[in-house]
Amino acid sequence: MEATREIYWNVGHGVVLPMYGFFFLAALVFLYGFYRRLPAYRRGKALNRLDRLRERIPLLLKNLFLQVRVLRVFGPGSLHAFFFWGFGLLFIGTLLIMAQVDFTQPLFGLVFLKGAFYELFSLVLDVSGLVAIVMLGGLLVRRFFVRPKGLETIRDDYLSHTLLFAILVTGFVVEGLRMAATEISANPGLARFSPIGLLVGRLFAGMSDAGLFLAHRVLWWVHFFLAMGFIAAIPYTKLRHIFLTSTNYLFSDLAPKGTISTINIEDDSSGSFGAAAVSELTWKDIFDADACTTCKRCQERCPAFATGKPLSPMKVVKQIGEVAFTKPQAGLIETVGQDALWACTTCRACQEICPANIEHVTKILEMRRNLSLMEGAFPGDEVRIASENIEVNGNPFGLAFAARGDWAEGLAVNVMERNSEADILYFPGCYASFDKRNREIARSFVQICNAAGVKAGILGKEEKCCGEPVRKLGNEYLYQTTAAANIEAIKRYGVRKIVTTCPHCFNTLRGDYRDLGLTIDVEHAATFIKGLIDQGRLRLKPGSFEFTYHDSCYLGRYRDIIDEPRAVLKAAGGRLREMEKSKYESFCCGGGGGRVLAEEKLGTRINEERTRMAQATGAPLLVSNCPFCLTMFEDGIKTGGSEGKLKALDLTEIIAARIGGRD
Amino acid sequence: MKILVCIKQVPDMESKFKVNAKGVWYEETDLAFRMNEYDEYAVEQAVQLKEQLGGGPEVTVLSIGPDRVLEPVKKALAMGCDRAVHLKDDDSSGKDPWQIASAIAGFSRDKNFDLIFTGMQSQDRGSAQVGAIVSELLGCACVTTVVHFAFNDGIVTAKRELEGGLKCIVRFRLPAVVTCQLGLNKPRYPTLPNIMKAKKKEIVSQAAAGFAATEALSGTGEFYVPAKKGRGIILEGDVNEMADRLIGILKEKTTVVR
Repeated sequence: MEATREIYWNVGHGVVLPMYGFFFLAALVFLYGFYRRLPAYRRGKALNRLDRLRERIPLLLKNLFLQVRVLRVFGPGSLHAFFFWGFGLLFIGTLLIMAQVDFTQPLFGLVFLKGAFYELFSLVLDVSGLVAIVMLGGLLVRRFFVRPKGLETIRDDYLSHTLLFAILVTGFVVEGLRMAATEISANPGLARFSPIGLLVGRLFAGMSDAGLFLAHRVLWWVHFFLAMGFIAAIPYTKLRHIFLTSTNYLFSDLAPKGTISTINIEDDSSGSFGAAAVSELTWKDIFDADACTTCKRCQERCPAFATGKPLSPMKVVKQIGEVAFTKPQAGLIETVGQDALWACTTCRACQEICPANIEHVTKILEMRRNLSLMEGAFPGDEVRIASENIEVNGNPFGLAFAARGDWAEGLAVNVMERNSEADILYFPGCYASFDKRNREIARSFVQICNAAGVKAGILGKEEKCCGEPVRKLGNEYLYQTTAAANIEAIKRYGVRKIVTTCPHCFNTLRGDYRDLGLTIDVEHAATFIKGLIDQGRLRLKPGSFEFTYHDSCYLGRYRDIIDEPRAVLKAAGGRLREMEKSKYESFCCGGGGGRVLAEEKLGTRINEERTRMAQATGAPLLVSNCPFCLTMFEDGIKTGGSEGKLKALDLTEIIAARIGGRD
Repeated sequence: MKILVCIKQVPDMESKFKVNAKGVWYEETDLAFRMNEYDEYAVEQAVQLKEQLGGGPEVTVLSIGPDRVLEPVKKALAMGCDRAVHLKDDDSSGKDPWQIASAIAGFSRDKNFDLIFTGMQSQDRGSAQVGAIVSELLGCACVTTVVHFAFNDGIVTAKRELEGGLKCIVRFRLPAVVTCQLGLNKPRYPTLPNIMKAKKKEIVSQAAAGFAATEALSGTGEFYVPAKKGRGIILEGDVNEMADRLIGILKEKTTVVR
């Protein structure tokens, strides 16, 4: 006997009409549910996220079907992914049945669910169902019994768990009842291909045929209505993420990471800058809120949240959604709170991990822009003073701009104004130019260049703050003013390549300045030095040392420069002891997002938290690649009680000390 | 009501100062300039008063000097002043307070300003005379070193800071000259729309010479960096040791610890 089964067994083909009737009803409820959400999205500004479909569609397929972003957190990610695959296969199985019984068979007499294919079909669906139940069980235990900190459980979670569990269980019971009546004794060879159905069917071994038939018919309808209920419930509950989160992959931001829209400051036609209302955000910002599943991965990684500050990226996203859907006239900044907005270090840990592809940082930046450009607000008076110092002297310390190049005294480096002959323009930035501790970075870098035969030039007093800290605090006007001065100076000397030792300058010159007309090649010292070593131009005298490495946010997460600095440090003889939070999961030093200019008054200190993590590795040396990080760590070591146990150094200092030919 | 705010552009005090060739003032190269701090309080107070009176008063900002002084003038406009007057004088740093004050008074004489705000002194010359001389020349009241200002029904109640931590309250009618001291207010940071609006505001440029007294009443004899006498002590090392050494120094050299 060929392996197959009678579709609509026991319920009869008469169910087709009412079944499709109810299905269309469910579909209507489903469509209306999503349709109802459209006006809220429309409250945002226009933004084209359907260009470059050739790049977008693979992103959608990869992240949806392979669950790539979901799987970045292994435990719960795997539970979700396997559930998704299991449930997805069951859905496909149902579609195949529908395709055969209601289309190919009546129209073309084509039956494909038979023979070996049917056996495979049965087996795959049974295993899928089992996997889905087990994964759902895992998720249930996690959510309701383990209760991870920060995971909020709402009505939707109870509903989804109940619905999904009931659908899967009734599915197996219906199968078991059918098999008990038609397969287990009549065709045991085929029954083997439905192992779970077989197990369930055996439970009904003693039941009368009439009992089996009745129970099957009742449960068939129960299963059906549960499934229809599920479809109808999707847009009204968190289940909507099935569609919205997937669609959000399609709407990905394809610009290089960290790209911020450059405001046309001359255009005040709207009368407003930044976002104080949802109408000043884009539709994508509102859509993001709807795509959020409150999985709290962002919140868990947020350095501000972890140190007791009133910021949770998840909450910010949700608050935007709440305003957009329930009180669109409400003030965004009042809803989120200034303290929360100023607490962000723009470290991007939230965005990097988000399985729903939500863009947290730009939302916060837009609100900061409103605070800064429309209110003249700062996180504190010290930041106001630092900003005014940048206006007057081009550096946040308020030191004389004319002293900017003083760090290079006695070093072989050309000041472009006097001699513009140089292989590279070295852009040390404010900290390496003025801060006593950080000047070691600039001096080390020049020594490295000298040893490798690279002629480095500097702008000296013509250089100004790159504008990054104030830009991240929302002060686009000051950023564009200082950027324009830098760009003019750089262009004046026909520079071909710029190297920075500061990841903030690096990202700004390389990325942000493009919108303002600077397109010269910009590189960070870490990769530049790696290049010199690889080309054999820089020879090191390796000396064994043990260290832990801190990935600065703007080199690691923002620019994917993870391996190069490690390779350089290993070439210098270093043995790396990784911190638990490293690479893409690195924990911010606390200095990003302009916070380096601000006092940290709320919660505990981020830099102390990070230096404690470094100390926990047992390595005596904390190496970073950023003057902001170094500043934060020097402070964190002092105030966090790691003095004498941990030393903070910049990568350039390590390399400069091991230049070949020196002791 | 018509309000005048007199502001001066001064070098940032963190600049690298060099004595100029004549030896009577500083060299201007490598200096970063900004609005005199006390004049920022003056601008803020004028704008606050304008706001208090529902935008009625017209606030004119005035500055004397070369073209570079237009920078702080633009900032004052962005902070909320309505119009600006630039009394052009490429040698304003060579003028004594009497000449500067007579230029301001000369300009103001027929303009009927009800209130003139200015800083209590400049951060560079620090003579603290200009406001007082202007009031004398215009024959109106002068209230200096003001740290609190309230205007009600045509009467100003101002708090002045005196030496030795003393304060005094002064009441006066307009017209008057008010010189502003640190603590009077917190100058606002200009918003972007206001910076943009300021670009369209009127700036009238006139030669200062037409208003100024020709003769200086005082002149700078010499301008120099004083010879270093003492020097700071930086303690380094163990915290406890540093504390002991600090107490030692305080006992030995001061009367703080007895």
